[in-house]
Amino acid sequence: MIVYGSIHHNRSMDYVGPLQELRRRESPGAGWSFFGSRQVSLEATCLANFSVLAERPSAAPQVVRPLLRAQLSDGSWPSFIGDDGSSWTTTLAICLLNSANDSSGARERGLSWLMKTNGREANWFWRWKFKLADRAVRFDPDRYGWPWLSGSASWVIPTAFSVIAIKQFTACSRSEISERRIRLGVDMLLDRVCLGGGWNSGNSVVYGVPLSAHVESTAIALLALQDEERTSVIRASLGWLKERSSTIESAESLAWCILSLFVYQEPVEHLKAKLAALVGDGHEIRNNATLATAILALKCGEMIHPFEVLR
Amino acid sequence: MNVDRRRFIGSAAGMASTTGVATVWLRPKHSVSYRRPRSFVAILNAAEYSEKTEALLMEGLRLFHFNLPGKTVLLKPNLVEDLPGPVNTHANIIGAAARCFLRLGATRVVIGEGPGHQRDTELVVHAANLEPHLADRQIEFVDLNRDELVRVKLKANYSGLGELWLPRTVLDSDFVVSMPKVKTHHWAGVTLSMKNMFGVVPGMKYGWPKNLLHWHGIHESILDICATVPIHFVIADGITAMEGNGPLQGIARELGKIVLADDPAAADATCARLMGFDPHRVQHLSEGGRFLGNLRADRITMLAERIEGPIRPFAVLPEFHYLLARTVL
Repeated sequence: MIVYGSIHHNRSMDYVGPLQELRRRESPGAGWSFFGSRQVSLEATCLANFSVLAERPSAAPQVVRPLLRAQLSDGSWPSFIGDDGSSWTTTLAICLLNSANDSSGARERGLSWLMKTNGREANWFWRWKFKLADRAVRFDPDRYGWPWLSGSASWVIPTAFSVIAIKQFTACSRSEISERRIRLGVDMLLDRVCLGGGWNSGNSVVYGVPLSAHVESTAIALLALQDEERTSVIRASLGWLKERSSTIESAESLAWCILSLFVYQEPVEHLKAKLAALVGDGHEIRNNATLATAILALKCGEMIHPFEVLR
Repeated sequence: MNVDRRRFIGSAAGMASTTGVATVWLRPKHSVSYRRPRSFVAILNAAEYSEKTEALLMEGLRLFHFNLPGKTVLLKPNLVEDLPGPVNTHANIIGAAARCFLRLGATRVVIGEGPGHQRDTELVVHAANLEPHLADRQIEFVDLNRDELVRVKLKANYSGLGELWLPRTVLDSDFVVSMPKVKTHHWAGVTLSMKNMFGVVPGMKYGWPKNLLHWHGIHESILDICATVPIHFVIADGITAMEGNGPLQGIARELGKIVLADDPAAADATCARLMGFDPHRVQHLSEGGRFLGNLRADRITMLAERIEGPIRPFAVLPEFHYLLARTVL
């Protein structure tokens, strides 16, 4: 258990209660599960630790240590402690280590794993199949990204977080291979956009029928595209998210929406007020990942955005 | 006959490989069988979702003989997306079922679901209007995408997955009730009580969607999951069903039925027949009929209404025309 000291700030008070509640829920062995079980989730832990770091940057060593212990031998991270399979949460771990300025080499090993990981359709055989035989879902298999776990196809959220992680980590010095993977990931995201803007999990048209976009996928995809040229696809998706933002009734989607609109310099104060009302003191938000994301969204503008990419 | 050493070794190797292939082909792919001599199904007529649903459901459930005192009942509805239309199992039926099982003696009812595409489970629960039904302190909702996980060896081997991480809430439940929405499905043909069990596979491990299962075969994965997490009872929401390009983009079909069954294969076979499909042509049902339950009509006892014709078959995508029954009864 990490002791972070008391919370001192003099601006918005909206996130103090939720942050205390989140800290109260930390597992005895460090880290957070989603709903209070003993099984520590990498996603919940990384998101929670972003808010811990934002509050107290000097907590970086305590934040990093359990993360380093959880890293697998191939450089990746599992979706939860106790699992031995590589997962998309590697991207969140890299972003967190970026925020903590970690110099242990764990980020390099994580990045190396990320560079070697593809959606399954990257294989020539499956690309051929999807081009010639299996045309039910509209997508270009030449534009592939990253899977949730090895052995499955590319999907929007893991691809978006992978792009963010690589962009952040290679901001100062980007190799050709990193640039190529970023471009491929960006192209994949642009290819999977829904009709009218926005993203869902990654199937935009099935059997010729367009599927609806999701707020969370759209927000995260837009975070990955924040430094890209504002093409019509990005403008339409941003427009879709802005329009949808007024009717979001769940804390998780609203929090991601705020985190995304903020980096596009869109007004978010009214959304933060709505989120603060939804979250209250945090007791009612049972999902620790949601609570952590909500805290990050409420602190937008008062901290370094964890998913911001330098232009 | 002269047999030289080279010919003998060649013949022996040939026989060994033939035996090996035959063993693999002939070896049963499941280590369990839940099929009983007879299964029981009750089709209830219900024109709409209303306050009368609970009484109707209770009447239907009393046709079966449950032993629920002291037990935790897991209701596994089909909550997929925050979309309009008959995408999700109706909250009216989920809430009614939860209260009925408590009245029938269950100690606790858990409603558990892990939506396959939408990561924001709270959004789906809210859109499905399930929250008012969770007011009872004995009824709890569990997000199966993010529950504590246990590594489980699969009790069938159609998919080749071998094992899956599954939610502790599911594994610890005493009585699993699959509550599908009766829908066509653009990959599996139909989504009924067995396909509905995809929702117990956790997104936090397998992603959104649970794409690894698709790569290992949808029908094969369904069989492996249903062998490993046995369904004890089915309440299928067919009041307003979905036809055409289901499970998300299809159109509403007023079927006016709730199907109850003590056997998932019998439940799905009955629903398929109500949809105008031949259950033997749905791959996972056909194979599931070998060990998960009964497909054949002569092994199913109808406790309430019978399937009455003529049936207007559900619209299907051209790829699934083969599902249509030659004779609908």
